[in-house]
Amino acid sequence: MFVVVLVHLIVAAVLVVARRQLQRWAFVVGALGPVATLVYLAANWGAVLDEEVVEETWQWVPAQDLEVSFRVDAYAMVFLLVVGVAGLAIFLYAQRYFTPARGPTLFAATMTLFGGGMTGLVASDHLLSLFVFWELTTITSYLLIGYDDRKAQARSAALHAALVTGAGGLAMLGGFVLLAEASGSYLISEIVANPAESSFAVGLAWVLILIGAITKSAQFPFHAWLPGAMAAPTPASAFLHSATMVKAGIFLVGRMGFAAVATVDWWQSAVVGIGLVTMVVGGWRALRQYDLKLLLAFGTVSQLGFMFLLIGSGVPELVFSGLAALLAHGLFKATLFMVVGAIDHEAGTRDLRRLSGLYRSMPVLFAVALAVSLSMAAIPLTFGFDAKEAAFHGLVHEGVLWVAAVATASALTVAYTARFVFGAFGSHDEGQEPAHGGSLRLSNLLLAAPASLAAISVVVGLFPSLVFPLVDAAAEATTGVAEAGELLLWPGWGPALAWSLVSLTAGSLLAWRTGFVGRVTDAVGVVAARLPSGDGAFRRFVPGLLSFADRSSGLLQNGSLPAYVAIILLVAITTPTVAVLRNGVTLAAPPTGTLLEWVLGLLIVAFALLLAFVRRRFAVVILLGGVGYAIAGLYAVFGAPDLTLTQLLIETLAIALFALVLRHMPATFSRPATARVPRLAVAILVGTFIFAGGLVANAARTSSRVAETFLAQSLPEAGGSNVVNVILVDFRGFDTLGEITVLVGATLGAAGLIRPILKNRKRS
Amino acid sequence: MRRSRSSPILSAGVVVVSGPLLMFSAYLLFAGHNLPGGGFSGGLVAGVAVLLVWAAGGIDAVRRVLPIRSHVFMGAGLSLAALTGFASFVPGLAFLESGYIKLHPPLVGEIKIVSALFFDIGVYLVVVGMAVGLVKALGDEESAAEPEVVS
Repeated sequence: MFVVVLVHLIVAAVLVVARRQLQRWAFVVGALGPVATLVYLAANWGAVLDEEVVEETWQWVPAQDLEVSFRVDAYAMVFLLVVGVAGLAIFLYAQRYFTPARGPTLFAATMTLFGGGMTGLVASDHLLSLFVFWELTTITSYLLIGYDDRKAQARSAALHAALVTGAGGLAMLGGFVLLAEASGSYLISEIVANPAESSFAVGLAWVLILIGAITKSAQFPFHAWLPGAMAAPTPASAFLHSATMVKAGIFLVGRMGFAAVATVDWWQSAVVGIGLVTMVVGGWRALRQYDLKLLLAFGTVSQLGFMFLLIGSGVPELVFSGLAALLAHGLFKATLFMVVGAIDHEAGTRDLRRLSGLYRSMPVLFAVALAVSLSMAAIPLTFGFDAKEAAFHGLVHEGVLWVAAVATASALTVAYTARFVFGAFGSHDEGQEPAHGGSLRLSNLLLAAPASLAAISVVVGLFPSLVFPLVDAAAEATTGVAEAGELLLWPGWGPALAWSLVSLTAGSLLAWRTGFVGRVTDAVGVVAARLPSGDGAFRRFVPGLLSFADRSSGLLQNGSLPAYVAIILLVAITTPTVAVLRNGVTLAAPPTGTLLEWVLGLLIVAFALLLAFVRRRFAVVILLGGVGYAIAGLYAVFGAPDLTLTQLLIETLAIALFALVLRHMPATFSRPATARVPRLAVAILVGTFIFAGGLVANAARTSSRVAETFLAQSLPEAGGSNVVNVILVDFRGFDTLGEITVLVGATLGAAGLIRPILKNRKRS
Repeated sequence: MRRSRSSPILSAGVVVVSGPLLMFSAYLLFAGHNLPGGGFSGGLVAGVAVLLVWAAGGIDAVRRVLPIRSHVFMGAGLSLAALTGFASFVPGLAFLESGYIKLHPPLVGEIKIVSALFFDIGVYLVVVGMAVGLVKALGDEESAAEPEVVS
């Protein structure tokens, strides 16, 4: 598995580095990623279906249990199969979809990177590595949606998607940590094997994880980002936003759902409820779309609800049918997106009001679309039907309410499928046939890629026993129950078939009476637009957050240097003061000191007092230097030559640099803008704190001095007899590395700020 | 022509002083592991030398003497320091834990090379880069403002 993920990352990196050379063949190169996934699947196929588990672990920080751990069982295999098969078809399709001159190499690289993230996600066993791959898919999704970065709509859709799924991801991370701490392991396999005891923290963890899953899989009420994501170029929509990424949440509830069902009683009703609402809302809104891509997007929302309900329910038979539905959906939805892309590419529009008679001008494309649409509508003898029939079979046992609700949503699916097929390919009065239709040949990848997926879909539909072993093994891997369901070409008469027929008939009626349905959906739409919605909430939330940020930073970052200094100093002294006062104050008597120490000390005090009264800037610099030199003298008296040397040099350099600065400033200070009393108060507080802090610290030593260890170890361990230097470069070398990093940052920042200021001044 | 700003005595003095100053700076750097000194103080001495060059000849002199940009110093220093830390992994030590080898070249006697020296050289380069960067940024305007004065 490591190899597969690495191939994705390397191919993506190569595409970025050699983007000019590879421009013509970007997607063919990118297809190496899905090919690697497929090769991996082929190599492990037999073993995994025999209930073996392929595990790979790379210890990163063993002391912290941090590792990248892959665990591929049949359940992961289902998702990997979708990523591999749909990915390969879509990459080849994209090769033809883009004109090479538009430079899609970066797009191809991002898609490949996403493929790596997705394979890593479904193969991860460690919660934290799962999270990292999860976020990798969020980020690549953001980049792909916003690929057309000159369109404001694409940018805002990308941001919407990233904010919703990113916030969900963060919630999920919190849930992961809570759950792992309660379970004592970060490995999903162990958490599921030994679910944590029910407690408030565990309950909260499951809520947070569910939030992560429903945001990622575009479940109600967070579904609005997915239709917006259709701003992405079609290959990305087909790959990320229908076939793979949006199934990550479903993957998660399926992977962990059993542990959740065992600990919290609300899990099942929550998952099923959310799935049902999503199914109905998505199907209903798909009926109102004119843009073929948006129609498919809402259809995806609906189908995701369906799969979420089945796979997250924790009922073995439903999980089984859900996994079959997932495979079927991957095949038909990716195909349909590619079909829409081909229509858009050839006819120049994907508005179903402007398309007409495409069944005549693009007959092969029509056949492809029809083959998979039948599967989407779950017409008998198709893969979609086989899966849905298995679902009905399971739902019948769960009660009439569940099955009736799913049948209603399925009727909507039939209706929007009909709207899609007739809208895209049928003849309308107002639409027009594309001027240069019929140019698509089967040798064209725009047609060949969806056609091959459609062929797979048809073959699997006719011979469902081809995928049964995989689906069965996958369901067993998560639920522990083998042969929970069946995939049959003809299920035989029974309640399940009856429900299928009911939804087909109802859906056909809906599709037949389009005029009536249109009026009803419009009427409902008018009402629904006034109801609170996830989309509206998001649109109000973001500006609200931004204006809050504006106001709070306006308050805190008001541009007054004295205010900043005061805030920093007061915060710095408050925390230790509170800590000391809570623990009781013990003051050590100050050491008496020698005559030389007194002289130097008084010198420092005298310089400091003078500083407060001087008005000329240069005199201030000199006095500050005096304070520094006197401190260097104190170091020398205490026998610290290294500190003395450094202090002297620092003071010298600082005075000289100050002098450089002062050439650009007025010779004297202007009258301060802030009042004298608060500044005096802050100064006195800080001074008192430092003085008292010294006395307290002197009395507070409880453990032995660290100096002795350092002195003893310096020469034997680090090979140096200057302990100060050994501390800097070895014992505390990490600190020094951090400090010089800060030094570099500060210098670059200061130089970067100074240059433009001086330049402006010169001009004026 | 550029207006000569500093006295000839200062210029000559800087020429005389800067050599020993840089030698002292290098001494501090290399002696630092066993005697007072180290990369930080060594770098500061070199920084003082840069300031002296500026005082004598202005920003042009600094640019002439040190044609390398300050970013290069700081980047090289930071990289060297970090790489020294990682190099400790090779013999199986912890990050930045120092190891040493003893060399016995003829005539000189024993020389002990501690890996921490390279870390200190990194610190030295960063400090020099800071001094050069700030002097170049702050001393910049002087020569650019000149043409208005002369013409």
